[in-house]
Amino acid sequence: MAIPGIGQMVGAAGLNPIDTKSVAKPKNTGAEGDFGNIVVNALQGLEALQDKSDGLAIKAATGDLSDVHDYTIAATEATLATEFTVAVRNRAVEAFNEIMRMQI
Amino acid sequence: MAIFPVLHTSGSGLRTHRIWMDAIADNIANINTVRPFDDDAFQARFIVAQAVRSDNQDPPGVGGGSRAAAVLFGDAEGRIRYEPDHPYANEQGLVRYPDMDLGDQMTQLLMAQRAYQMNLAVVDRARDTYMQAIRINGR
Repeated sequence: MAIPGIGQMVGAAGLNPIDTKSVAKPKNTGAEGDFGNIVVNALQGLEALQDKSDGLAIKAATGDLSDVHDYTIAATEATLATEFTVAVRNRAVEAFNEIMRMQI
Repeated sequence: MAIFPVLHTSGSGLRTHRIWMDAIADNIANINTVRPFDDDAFQARFIVAQAVRSDNQDPPGVGGGSRAAAVLFGDAEGRIRYEPDHPYANEQGLVRYPDMDLGDQMTQLLMAQRAYQMNLAVVDRARDTYMQAIRINGR
């Protein structure tokens, strides 16, 4: 009995080659929608808040601070922004690890 | 737009009431300031608080807090008192005292202090709330 070649099986038995056109591709979201850019922007915002807080701390030390609450609020804001950025980073790393653990 | 708008709104309230307390302190410090009869008496300071419009808030109708927009001055006539021994007294022995009531100033001071504390309480609550939001599903 003749054994048909594999090449003949493909197509004939319904094994269609993968149609690369129909595979969903990730949408190109542009540079600003990029997760890396979001994190970078968040870090820049965080840095600005911490700079502001530091500046007010210096003012407090030199006696130029007119409003005590200006400093404490800026410090609170910087703390919150830090926590927030760290939380975002942690979630992202968690998601990445989850994908890396995936059994293939 | 700021990421934590409540902090800025409450901060503006804190500033307004700090300025109010400054004005009351000025008034109380000058409660015994005597002026000659021909001059103006010390005028009580009044702070004009104004709501701040904010285009950054979402929805836009929510404002951005308050600010001390202006200082108004009280009666320049003061209270005329007869103190003939006073160096500032005129021929009739009259001097001008500021037209302020200490009890009224102390009441205003209480109000300003309480309002300041309330704004601080809002800051505290906002911080706790934001912190809880950050820690959703976190460890």
